[in-house]
Amino acid sequence: MRPLPALRLLAGPALAGGLLVLVVAASATAGDPPATGGSATDAEPAWYAVVQATPTPAIPLESAPPLPTPIAHPGDASATGCVDCHDQVDNKQAAIAEDWRSSIHAKEGVGCADCHGGDPRSDEITVGMAVANGFQGVPGREETVGVCGGCHANAERMRPYQIATDQYSKYFSSVHGQRLLTANDTKVAICIDCHGSHGVKPASDPTADVYPLNVPDLCASCHADAEKMEPYGIPTDQFEVYKLSVHGRQLLDEQDLRAPTCTSCHGSHAAQPPRSDTVVDVCGKCHTATQALYEESAHSRLPAVGPKCWTCHGTHDVTEPDERLFLHEGGVPDYLCATCHSPTDQSLRLELDQFEQESDRRCDTCHHERSVIYSQVEAIAGAIGGAASAYDAALFRIDEAAALGMIVADAEVAAAEAKTGLIRARAAVHTTKLAAISAITKETVDKAAAAEAIANAKLDDNTFRRQAMVVVIAIIALNVLVLMGLRRRLHAPG
Amino acid sequence: MPSEIEQGTSGGGTTIPAAEAGGRESRGFGRRRFIRYLMSFSIVSSLAIVVTPIIGFLIPTKSASGTAGGRVLAGTLETLPVGTGAVIAVGSKPAIVVSTATGVKAYSAICTHLGCIVLWDEAAGAIICPCHDGRFNPATGAVVSGPPPAPLAPLATAVEGNEIYIVTG
Amino acid sequence: MTTDAPTRAPLGGPIGWIENRLHLGPFIGALLHVRVPADAKTFYLGGITLFLFGIQVVTGTLLALYYSPTPDAAYESVLSITSDVQFGWLIRSIHHWTANLMILSLILHVIRIFVQGAYKYPREATWLVGGGLLMLTIGFGFTGYLLPWDQRAYWATVVGTEIAGAVPLIGPPLLLLLRGGPDVTDATLARFFGIHVLVLPLLIGALIAIHLLFVHQQGLANPKRPDPRPGRPGPDLSAEKTKPFFPDYILDELIAWYAVLTALVVLATIFPAGLEAKADPLITPEHIKPEWYFLGVYELLKLVPETVGVVAPIALVLVIVILPLLDRNHEVRPRRRPIAIGLATLLLVGLGVLTVLGGRS
Repeated sequence: MRPLPALRLLAGPALAGGLLVLVVAASATAGDPPATGGSATDAEPAWYAVVQATPTPAIPLESAPPLPTPIAHPGDASATGCVDCHDQVDNKQAAIAEDWRSSIHAKEGVGCADCHGGDPRSDEITVGMAVANGFQGVPGREETVGVCGGCHANAERMRPYQIATDQYSKYFSSVHGQRLLTANDTKVAICIDCHGSHGVKPASDPTADVYPLNVPDLCASCHADAEKMEPYGIPTDQFEVYKLSVHGRQLLDEQDLRAPTCTSCHGSHAAQPPRSDTVVDVCGKCHTATQALYEESAHSRLPAVGPKCWTCHGTHDVTEPDERLFLHEGGVPDYLCATCHSPTDQSLRLELDQFEQESDRRCDTCHHERSVIYSQVEAIAGAIGGAASAYDAALFRIDEAAALGMIVADAEVAAAEAKTGLIRARAAVHTTKLAAISAITKETVDKAAAAEAIANAKLDDNTFRRQAMVVVIAIIALNVLVLMGLRRRLHAPG
Repeated sequence: MPSEIEQGTSGGGTTIPAAEAGGRESRGFGRRRFIRYLMSFSIVSSLAIVVTPIIGFLIPTKSASGTAGGRVLAGTLETLPVGTGAVIAVGSKPAIVVSTATGVKAYSAICTHLGCIVLWDEAAGAIICPCHDGRFNPATGAVVSGPPPAPLAPLATAVEGNEIYIVTG
Repeated sequence: MTTDAPTRAPLGGPIGWIENRLHLGPFIGALLHVRVPADAKTFYLGGITLFLFGIQVVTGTLLALYYSPTPDAAYESVLSITSDVQFGWLIRSIHHWTANLMILSLILHVIRIFVQGAYKYPREATWLVGGGLLMLTIGFGFTGYLLPWDQRAYWATVVGTEIAGAVPLIGPPLLLLLRGGPDVTDATLARFFGIHVLVLPLLIGALIAIHLLFVHQQGLANPKRPDPRPGRPGPDLSAEKTKPFFPDYILDELIAWYAVLTALVVLATIFPAGLEAKADPLITPEHIKPEWYFLGVYELLKLVPETVGVVAPIALVLVIVILPLLDRNHEVRPRRRPIAIGLATLLLVGLGVLTVLGGRS
């Protein structure tokens, strides 16, 4: 425990009072009002206020351009004039025709003219590809989104296929779409970069680039390329890092389709890195229980400075959390004040870049040793550690008993109950409520002790058996000696 | 058999010649009795180490819950009305029994995700794992949502009169 | 039968009580008062096998009082025996180890008989009955193995009956007969239990009685010289060293039995019989291995075509059974029978290598 906690309590109000004055003095800006935490069970007293930095205002989005109409053309799906000729032109064209034939468009009767215009009934270049007949050629990169969107954003058109029609509007809300609009940047990803142009396949097709297992590779084809990303100043190590993360390993090594891909968190058509105020919902889409627990905590009531999921768990480099996340090993490094506090008004800001190093993702990075909450952090870490070691001790004993050949099914069940408690206790850490966590860890320790007791009883039983065995062998030896004596007497001289 | 040796009636046994028997007799009596005791003790002890486990084995034990064709009483139709559930121990395994509109169902209470013990959430009307919010359909044991990869293993139930039993095996 | 025992003193005590009523004295005397060759160290193996069988009868009967032969309850009943019943672990572990030791001592006994030429005249029929005893013992091992109904038991039986089904001509009906259907089910368990607990004990009891009767009639073979044949002048037998069966040989046999009991107690305590997960027909374990006495055949089947691998052991058994007819050499000393000893050594080494390889895979 920290020395003289009472003194700290006195110092707190003085500090808080000073900060309050500062807050009142500074003009109120958009920032959420400081959280006071109404719950009496929290460790945070009502008078403690946190000065939060002004959150960065969101950039207003340029709205999407009006949707073009689908390209009209004579003929229908049975008109194969285009491919009949292009199959024989040269290898490149034949490959394109082959791509199209393997696509979902070909299967649903969407042909060349639907995107390129022209007259598909004729295989003569002068007819099929005549501008007078509506031929438009290859659309430019800025127009492609409109060509695709012309059908795919049309609810009437897409109804038979039961596909969503929001991709067009979503795309223009994404970083890609915004840059296309505002900066005329044609190097950003457009529809055909991910879905292909001629060989379009549905996302449920395992050979499609947009099939979940293939998505990280697809995004990495640009985002891991240093040359491509250089003008934007975006890092290019995400894919490498993701591959080693628990999410990446689950998706790419275990082939588990439930694991998140790039699009699960960033969105696909509306691709944008999650903002600080939305990230908990993004992670919480799958980690529902954890989000519910987090929202009970004081952290969740400090939107601008409270830690979010990535603060402790990272973004692309998410790994299995363990007890190391509580406290720095070997002491907290001397962080510079300006790392977290604004030099002008000392307000606190919590940013992604502060927690890039995994070694900084610890409770005591923020809750430094001399803070009030530090004792609570220590208590939580201790409770979890105690429960984990009780569980490990029980498992060790059970293994010992099993190695001696004892049947340990009942001890294993008791250990399973302890494991349930341990997992629940670890999850409850997100609530930051020491009382709740302690209740669960106490239960866990009790159950682990019960399991260990059962295992110990078996070990004692085993020891008793071996001792009894020695006695039995002694009796047998005695009997054998008697028999041998008898034998010798049989042939005694006389 | 020992008496036969001493009476010298068996073929191939030895007899102590009369000439020497007299001189050794006083010691022989003590030795003979000692040998008799030794042999009785050895016979008795041999019998003891064989008979003790056999008798012990035959004496029935109190805890015979998981034995042949065993059933475990899970509750009654009163203690488990429709829409409720409970976790009970069946032999050495935890089981969850749920009373649904389509009858009484029972499953292994070991979550197929990471092995936590599931519980019954009356408000949600679902079997929920407290560790990662995995949910199971009480009527079939199938996964409704969350990380569990497989349904809960079903257990056979028997309702006799008012009483609900889980049949082991 | 009553005989006049003119000059015997009246016996006292309980023995006297029985003797006066049943007059079993001469009968028991005839059983006991025989002579055996003096150097008879390896002769104890037969008696050890009998002793172990007796242990199996006792422990098996005890287990049957708690065991339940249906798939729903078999595993749980074995678990209950091992965990709940007093000394249950001991009875079960002893039953398990005695099975293994019995087969081992049986094999050693067969080898001893072969090496000493004790299957030759006049003991051909004894050898034949012994062949039957070997088959029945292996049958015990095979049927008993399934009874705990855990993964190991279940899948070893699946593989074992598959191999039986691969026997030419009679294979498929044999498989159906063994399994009580096309698959290993509750019918198989019921069948194996009945065979293990009723059919085989009755058969082996009868064969043991016949075997012992023959052994008593003919006495133990002398390893140094063959029995004299009718119509041929035999060697002078008067100078042979013999010793009485009772009490000398029996005492030695008892000591050997105590030694075996010690081994059993140690094995049962230090290496108790285990139990894997309950049998699940839907989950095939990665490595299915039969018990050690089947490993040789198992390994052979991996190396040669299936038919060869199944016919070869059957052919071997047939050869062993008709061995006395094949081996016309009158000699019993190993040195005078180079072909027989040579072939047998080859066979044993081959089987040993196969077994070791099978155990390693």
